[in-house]
Amino acid sequence: MRDPYEILGVEKTASLDDIRKSYRKLAKKFHPDLNPGNKKAEEQFKEVSSAYDLLSDADKRARFDRGEIDATGAERPRQRFYKDFAEDSDHVYTDASGFEDFATGDDLFAEILRRQAHARANAPGPDMHYRLAVDFLDAVNGGTMRLGVPDGGTLEVKIPAGIADGQVLRLRGKGGPGRGSGKAGDALVEVAIKPHRFFTREGDDIHVELPITLSEAVLGGEVPVPTPTGPVMMRVPKNSNTGATLRLKGKGVRRHGGGHGDELVRLKVMLPPAPDPELEKFAAGWQAGKSYDPRRDMQP
Amino acid sequence: MTISRQEFLLRASLDEGTLEAWVAEEWLIPSGTAAEPAFTDADIARAALIRDLKHDLDVNDPGIGVILSLLDQVHGLRRTLADLLRDMRERDRGAPHTQDVPD
Repeated sequence: MRDPYEILGVEKTASLDDIRKSYRKLAKKFHPDLNPGNKKAEEQFKEVSSAYDLLSDADKRARFDRGEIDATGAERPRQRFYKDFAEDSDHVYTDASGFEDFATGDDLFAEILRRQAHARANAPGPDMHYRLAVDFLDAVNGGTMRLGVPDGGTLEVKIPAGIADGQVLRLRGKGGPGRGSGKAGDALVEVAIKPHRFFTREGDDIHVELPITLSEAVLGGEVPVPTPTGPVMMRVPKNSNTGATLRLKGKGVRRHGGGHGDELVRLKVMLPPAPDPELEKFAAGWQAGKSYDPRRDMQP
Repeated sequence: MTISRQEFLLRASLDEGTLEAWVAEEWLIPSGTAAEPAFTDADIARAALIRDLKHDLDVNDPGIGVILSLLDQVHGLRRTLADLLRDMRERDRGAPHTQDVPD
């Protein structure tokens, strides 16, 4: 980058006021939005505004003067200029009414103006963005939900079975209205799945922790298990421990390509809520219960 | 693609009062309804231009209105010129030019 003083055309001793004045003059000349279509002006404006950023900051200017920093890297990050959007057909600002007097009768120019007016009058509507909180089970099983929209109406949203958190549903034609014969925009609905009391979900699989009694754990047997589609009976094998996980095939979430995930049931052995004299008596006299070490794996 | 008023204020670094004043001047024309206005990337860039004019270039309010109106006409003119040139080139190549579809 060139010397910032040179770019702004000021002396090394120039006051901040002089720098500002000079910048203002050059910016008026080179601002890209005041020079649409002029690539060179855009480059010059970048140079001028970077130089100004450097010299208008007393601290940076002092460090530059002492040679501690150079002028590179001072490039100003900048959002896109208005001119980059101004010629799009679908916004309200561009005004082509100022030269209708050129168009006489049925010539090419008149036709182009007509076509532009048609495009403006029939611009498509904007897409609208929404967020919808969906119950855990509705997300798994599918369902229909209502979504309040800003104009006071409601949108009916069909939730496909197996939808994932963060997925976006596109409702064609349910966005902002188009102008004239322009098509309406779409409604884009981002789905946020609410947590469930005892189910959790990992991909296509449902996880649940199932409390069982001591007798069920020791003796095994049939126990009812909740699944997203209702309770089913499951066989718990004899001598099932806390942490043992049983798989219910096909009781998980519907897969995108077909089929279902599984439900994984993690057993949790629960003692009765109140102390039980009979159980205490049994445990006290139970010799084998004192001879195994459940903490064997925790030895240092 | 549109964004809400809140997101627009954030991305354009504007405060409520300034936005209201600029909309009242018709320097910015949001789409959507008055209760639920919607903004585009073009509106963000236009707000940046207005800020440059006001603060960097020291243009006063009536001047900003005049500049925006003339700029909008320049862009209309540029687009029409671009359309015209494209049409002429297509005709030169003998290609059928774009037909206007009646409603």
